[in-house]
Amino acid sequence: MTGRVNDPENVEESLVAFAPRVYGLLRRLVGRPDVAEDLMQETLLRAVRSLATYRPEGKFRAWIFCIAVNLARDWMRRQRHEPAALLGDDGEVSPDAVPAPDEPPDGPVLRRERRRCVEDALARLSEPDRTVLLMRYYGNLAFKDIARATDEPLGTVLSRAHRALRKLGDLIPEEPS
Amino acid sequence: MNRCPDKTQWVLYAAGELADRLRRRLQAHLAACEDCRREQEAVARGLSALGALDPEPALRPEVLETLRRRLAVAAAHKAVRPTLLATVYRYRWVAAAAVLIAAALAYALLPSTETPASRWIDEDQFVAEMAEITAGVEILESSAYAGVMENGNGEKAGPADTIEGQSRRPPKDFPNLIGATG
Repeated sequence: MTGRVNDPENVEESLVAFAPRVYGLLRRLVGRPDVAEDLMQETLLRAVRSLATYRPEGKFRAWIFCIAVNLARDWMRRQRHEPAALLGDDGEVSPDAVPAPDEPPDGPVLRRERRRCVEDALARLSEPDRTVLLMRYYGNLAFKDIARATDEPLGTVLSRAHRALRKLGDLIPEEPS
Repeated sequence: MNRCPDKTQWVLYAAGELADRLRRRLQAHLAACEDCRREQEAVARGLSALGALDPEPALRPEVLETLRRRLAVAAAHKAVRPTLLATVYRYRWVAAAAVLIAAALAYALLPSTETPASRWIDEDQFVAEMAEITAGVEILESSAYAGVMENGNGEKAGPADTIEGQSRRPPKDFPNLIGATG
């Protein structure tokens, strides 16, 4: 996900490299894989069309994820949609299907259970709180970059992150070591 | 650090986004403060829980294929359609020449706004018309004061023709001002 976006020959491939993570964020935000696929494509198309408006002082990655979040919010506003549950098994290719070489046979099941637990906990967060965590995780963005991209004070972003992480920490059992 | 830091600092601490010096101070505080230790552990647990999510979920091949195609079309479209400003800048001398030619043509072809003298009536004509109007008004007034009760055709005026005893129809010798155009 570290393509050189200033190289015109490389722009398309750089944007394609963002696709899985943008899709991951959108999927957790809107709660529907089909919609997340459409919005992911729309995000990257908008990015290619509006490259001229991108401010080089901000992080390109933050800019992309900000477009994605705005599109997701528009869609949710239109749908008045709050995802009741952020997806379980929906037929997508899952890396949980096969145990890793150094894990017990029930490893994939436990990982899937834990993932579902996290998804449920995320679904209980308010949309702005959830968005901060998802931008942090899928965008791999520092909180100050999230604040800059979303044009919010750093204190607000950190308050949201704190509230969300505390809730996740309370809802999710400790991972067995 | 004796006072407990703001709770949001534990978010930055858990995420590894603090400068070394501040991080060491918070670490020292944690060693001495049970409440903050619990707070920090809860935040760190929440952050590590996110690791259960697949950071790069697999996309269906056909979705990736469609995306590549659409991006290529959008990029090509953008490449062949420069913005209006860029086009104007590229052809700025041609644009300037076109504006000058258009201005010259407009000056040459558009009718002048100066009013020709022929549109004004001359003084003699004005005096003659005013005299004619004055004569008509005098005849009207003299007829009214003389108590003429007939209508313009010499017939006796009926109730519909009179207002307070005066005829509403002009007398026969009233000049036809409307048709009198010399």
